[in-house]
Amino acid sequence: MAEFLALRDIVKIYGTTARTTALRGVSLSLAAGEYAALIGRSGSGKSTLLNIIGTLDRPTSGEMRVDGRDIFALDDDGLAAFRGRTIGFVFQFHHLLPEFTALENVLLPFRAAHGRTTAAASVRARRLLERVGVGDRMNHKSNALSGGQQQRVAVARALINEPRLILADEPTGNLDTESSEAIKALLREINRESGTTFLIVTHDRHIAAGCDRVVEIDDGGIVRDFRPPETTADEAWAALAPCECRERVRGDGGPAPTRP
Amino acid sequence: MFDVFVAFRFLRESRAQTFLILGGIVLGIAVQVFLNALISGLQADLIRKTVGHAPHIIGTTPDAEPVAVLPSDPREKTIVRIVTNEGGVKVIRDGAVIGSQIEKLGAFTVILPVARGSGYVWQGQKILPVILRGADLETADRLYDIRRRLTAGRYEVGPDTVLIGKDLAAKLRLEAGSVLRLSAAGGGEDLFRVGGIFDLENQVLNETWILLSLARAQNLIGLDRGLSEIELQTKDVFEAERRAAELRAVFPSVRWRSWEETNASLLSALRSQSSSSTLIQLFVLLSVTLGIAGVLAVSVIQKSRQIGILKAIGTMTRHVGRIFVIQGAVLGFLGSVLGVLAGAGLIFLFQGISGGSPSAFPFSVSFGAAAVSVAAATAAGTLAAFIPARRASRLSPIEVIRNG
Repeated sequence: MAEFLALRDIVKIYGTTARTTALRGVSLSLAAGEYAALIGRSGSGKSTLLNIIGTLDRPTSGEMRVDGRDIFALDDDGLAAFRGRTIGFVFQFHHLLPEFTALENVLLPFRAAHGRTTAAASVRARRLLERVGVGDRMNHKSNALSGGQQQRVAVARALINEPRLILADEPTGNLDTESSEAIKALLREINRESGTTFLIVTHDRHIAAGCDRVVEIDDGGIVRDFRPPETTADEAWAALAPCECRERVRGDGGPAPTRP
Repeated sequence: MFDVFVAFRFLRESRAQTFLILGGIVLGIAVQVFLNALISGLQADLIRKTVGHAPHIIGTTPDAEPVAVLPSDPREKTIVRIVTNEGGVKVIRDGAVIGSQIEKLGAFTVILPVARGSGYVWQGQKILPVILRGADLETADRLYDIRRRLTAGRYEVGPDTVLIGKDLAAKLRLEAGSVLRLSAAGGGEDLFRVGGIFDLENQVLNETWILLSLARAQNLIGLDRGLSEIELQTKDVFEAERRAAELRAVFPSVRWRSWEETNASLLSALRSQSSSSTLIQLFVLLSVTLGIAGVLAVSVIQKSRQIGILKAIGTMTRHVGRIFVIQGAVLGFLGSVLGVLAGAGLIFLFQGISGGSPSAFPFSVSFGAAAVSVAAATAAGTLAAFIPARRASRLSPIEVIRNG
């Protein structure tokens, strides 16, 4: 697969007097169509990394190239335009705008990029809403929908500009098991249908295990980068165990965690 | 377009806030429009009564210096000093030239050359002092509005026809067609026919004014072809003094006096009324501005999550700011348009109460003033939105997205 996005030596330091290093030289590349998970403890730097890849934040040093183009050389408006057309976001708390209907929410990124909506965009938004399974509720205000439905609308919104990369930050973190399974399946299907690259930040081992690739970050650096399909199910499951659990396993040679 | 779309939606979805602030603006602007119409109506009424039918600037010859006939010698014990006016009647000789030059200035609506002198009217046993005024009747009508106020006869003067006031006519028992004898202080004397009788709603004028043709008056008073004064009306009553100053510079041989000079106390009363009215309007505008700024500042905080999302999905920083600037402008514009309508409604209501009599509430409704109110409120709303807009455009999407 062709390299689509490449991070080189990304360093992010917060604060000027009390300096906190959130990322200490992260290099990572994503191939087009890849379905990757980003895991790590809270405070590990994974959100910072996601914000930088999403161009919501600029790195202190290092560069990010998309199709060979140095993205952070753009000014803020250039970044906003790039973000609007290239990246779709699915957030943990769906983040739909309550002032707008489901359909209008889906069309917002299109309006932001083009100033107004077109008939073709409208048709596309309806199709997307039907695709994610909320076609019958598209004219409801977003806060009249259930949590699962809202997250489906958010997925449709992320797709409206046909982005090449979807960044999902704990997309199932706020949902019940049933909705969570449905969203998980939906994201995977969309990846297979459209070849969109996915980077999913998750705590959920089930999601990570279903990804093509898992990148684990700890203390501001990548500690592991592996492909679950190339390992056995039990190896993958063990590899995805929380860090402190793995340390214990290595330390006293006790029983390895097994899949429930 | 995107920013307009979002701005209107934010206003529509924050209905209670939008209506409250709109109500405030409507009330403020309605009061502003109402007060403005009332105060400027009262002023216009007062000015019309004072100087509407009077010259705004009068040009006369400088007062003749009294001259001592016998030189007073400080060494003499008795001081005898006889004082007289030098040279009889003072005359503006180049009146026609000055008149045409003034016309070229284009600042005056009426230019009335007048031959004026004191004299007497003789009728039987009665001799009454009068003021003889010779001027072009059509021009004089534009200044004094005489034709409309003619009570008898016709509005015309000729070699032997004059117009007299109603009180003089009553005293001398004259009517249109009667004959009277006029003598000027300078010595001229002749018989005239009363062509018409006017009522200028001023007893002094009605008792003393005799209107003649310019040529006849010049001849009777003995001015030759000279003028005794040039009376002017300016387009704007309040620019009279400025125009008089200009005239003083251009025609120093004539003494120019504005009505503002002769009515200083009335003027200062009008001025302070005007400035208090301006002050009220400024305060209304200020409260509109503060109201809009306050509502938008709250709105930015309420909508910070939405702003963060809009930024994350690719909305440019300046468009985020514009969403709030547009809201400010819309609130200012909509509020002031409704306010102008409400103010107009209030004016109609008061006119209805006063039974349609225009003198009780002499409103001066001006579309210009209404347009200024709307423009000022819209500008104020836009301006008020700038600080909240800046705040909004500086919001970082990361914080709001991360924390739900």
